[in-house]
Amino acid sequence: MGKISDIFKDWKVIMLLLFLLFAIFSIQPQIFGNDGVAIKSVMKNSSAELAGIQNPSAKLSPLGREVIIAINNKPVANIQEYYSSLSDIEENKTIRVTTDKKTYTLLPPPDLISAPDHGSALGLRVGEAPSSNLKKGLDLEGGTRVVLKPTTKISADDLEITIQNLQERLNVFGLSDVVIKSASDLAGDSFIVIEIAGVTEDEVKELLAKQGKFEAKIGNDTVFLGGKEDITYVCRSADCSGIDPNAGCSAIEGGSICRFFFSITLSSEAAERQAELTRDIPIVSDQQGSYLQDPLTLYLDDEAVDTLNIGAELKGRATTNIQISGSGQGRNQQEAINDALHNMKRLQTIIITGSLPVKLDVVKMDTLSPTLGKEFLNNLLLIGVLAILAVVSVIMIRYRNMKIALPMALVLLSEQVLILGFAALVGWNLDLAAITGIIIVVGTGVDHLIMITDEVLKGEATSDWKKKIKQAMFIVMGAYFTTLSGMVPLWFAGAGLLKGFAFTTIAGLSFGVLIARPAYAAMIKHILK
Amino acid sequence: MSLKQVYEQHYKKLLLIPFLMVILAIGQIAFQYASTGDIVNKGISLKGGSTLTIEGNLDANDIQVFLKEQFPKGDISVRALSSAGKVIGVSIDADAQLKEETDALLAALRSKGFLTSGTKYSLEVVGSSLGESFFRQIATALLIAFLLMAIVVFIYFRIPIPCLAVILAAFSDIIVTLAIFNMTGMKLNSGGIAAFLMLVGFSVDTDMLLTARVLKRVELPFMERVYGAISTGLTMTMTTLVVIIVGLLFSKSDVVQQIMLILGIGLVVDMAMTWIQNVGLLRLYFERKHQGKKEMEH
Repeated sequence: MGKISDIFKDWKVIMLLLFLLFAIFSIQPQIFGNDGVAIKSVMKNSSAELAGIQNPSAKLSPLGREVIIAINNKPVANIQEYYSSLSDIEENKTIRVTTDKKTYTLLPPPDLISAPDHGSALGLRVGEAPSSNLKKGLDLEGGTRVVLKPTTKISADDLEITIQNLQERLNVFGLSDVVIKSASDLAGDSFIVIEIAGVTEDEVKELLAKQGKFEAKIGNDTVFLGGKEDITYVCRSADCSGIDPNAGCSAIEGGSICRFFFSITLSSEAAERQAELTRDIPIVSDQQGSYLQDPLTLYLDDEAVDTLNIGAELKGRATTNIQISGSGQGRNQQEAINDALHNMKRLQTIIITGSLPVKLDVVKMDTLSPTLGKEFLNNLLLIGVLAILAVVSVIMIRYRNMKIALPMALVLLSEQVLILGFAALVGWNLDLAAITGIIIVVGTGVDHLIMITDEVLKGEATSDWKKKIKQAMFIVMGAYFTTLSGMVPLWFAGAGLLKGFAFTTIAGLSFGVLIARPAYAAMIKHILK
Repeated sequence: MSLKQVYEQHYKKLLLIPFLMVILAIGQIAFQYASTGDIVNKGISLKGGSTLTIEGNLDANDIQVFLKEQFPKGDISVRALSSAGKVIGVSIDADAQLKEETDALLAALRSKGFLTSGTKYSLEVVGSSLGESFFRQIATALLIAFLLMAIVVFIYFRIPIPCLAVILAAFSDIIVTLAIFNMTGMKLNSGGIAAFLMLVGFSVDTDMLLTARVLKRVELPFMERVYGAISTGLTMTMTTLVVIIVGLLFSKSDVVQQIMLILGIGLVVDMAMTWIQNVGLLRLYFERKHQGKKEMEH
């Protein structure tokens, strides 16, 4: 029997250790926990954004996010403390928000105290501070996954533009913690997969599926379109947007209806067009005032959403300042106000970002509550531990030798660390499918380790270790390539929905076969020699 | 006669078992196709519709009866979910695809208190066009996977008959597993399909081991090479099976349970395909080859 210290001199073992170190370095597990709450997104024009808090980019690693550690100098260790600190704030006083980067001074909005959720009234969405660099997928964190399919075939360029546009829409809407990716299938159809963690808002679906073709017409003539070309500015602050003070809310049958307004600035070309079109329209007058005979009709995706009278004073004038309005309904006034404000936000978003190159259909939509996700994760961890224990028991029954079972368990464990390290490094979202892949890798991993062990123990009568191990690796590599044959087509098929499974299985098998399993062979050689 | 004698001397008769299994399986799949129009009972993710999973100790039958009353036209089925022998929730499959339909379903469940504001639930909605194309895609992927696997096997061993035996074993394994899965009455979902792809690689593992041992260790008698492979192969199957059993018993996720179930069936079937079918064919091949050599010598 060789010396144990020889094991650590073998370059295969050294390589495994180096890779393991690197994997742990990229996962960066926060063993002592991580205090504070991580900023997930910052809404546009909110108190938080105006104070200078940056909207985190989706590309940031989980630990790279800014973490709030104190509010008004009171430490914040978790979400509960965050909300209790926020509930203590006083009206009309600035709020000091300390993060791990710097301290910001926030001017609260006037209606902060009455807002149901102080955090989002300030424009902040937060989550638990991450405990490692591993990104949890939707099934584990909760949220919404939407798969969109263009109604007509589009070019790769158009798909790219559509994705950018959707990304911008979600950002303008106040969501940045979003994964948007294109996917395709073997039939050549393209899809857009959007994953929004921690959000289950119906509205998001509407925002994404709408092509967002916004048009303002007088009669059949287009005055202006949504997008930056015609509309240079959309007001979203309280002084020039909100519930219309002149129209307000009124009771209708079965509830209430409220009107909203916001002003926009037209480009000079669009203003010129409006002047041209209104020049010959006759003026009519009634008790409400004088206005043009033909109204301005607003269309969203070819559907009339609102009709506005044009004041007589605007006739033939190239005015750039226009007020857009619309309405919302509800069973009571509060609901109607909320609905109106929601509709306003959606319309603003669509006008800012303009129309998508193509209409999209929602082909799949999943909603998962976050607590369910958390239980999945704990459950899978339990299964992972039990699986390794069960495997080790079978190995002990078969070989009755700790010298074989122990290295085997260590190698199996290190294969999992390697997969997770790789996932953290490339920012892969770990979802249920991916974790199932990891369990499968344990299954094949142990198969290969048994092949190596048996080849070494009972292989050819020769004492040529090199030959024994070469023979073992020959079978292992064969098994590796056949499993790969199953996973590679899966990578490309079906709108990328099983990509996570294919990814972890391929990554895990490859690390196993190229790094961990040869190291095991080397260990066994030194132990049994 | 001992088991060993049967195994060693009657290998030709034993070969009938796996082939009979394959024939019966093809019959089952043909029957499935004739009666339902599909070779497998498709779940929501493959045909479109929605799956609502609600956690809690709920009675699946109560909900089924209630929903049938509420939506007499709807195609709704309710199943209890269990983990470690305990009921942990229900899974409701419905043909609802539009938002209005799923909202109506949720509203109905809320009205009866099956769903309260604190209840944990998840909702998966799949459009039927995506479901259909997904199924076709994966069927294609399965075919490609199989071809790639066959190519790898041929490159590896380079001798036609043993290679064909390996490929036949993998094919038989998948067909028989599919038929057994059909007989459980479960509906195949996307996770299950991934399991079938996995099975392509898994089932070949033991066949590759067997073939490598038989072809390379020529210094040992044939049956000794086979027994060596069996002792390694069965250890492999046992370890994988315990992982699968742990997953089946303790998993709370429907998807994981289905993957584990299919892999489990596949592994058990694979034992027959590798240690009876593949061994038998290899023996036949070597005996013929041997005879051929002897005749040449005469």
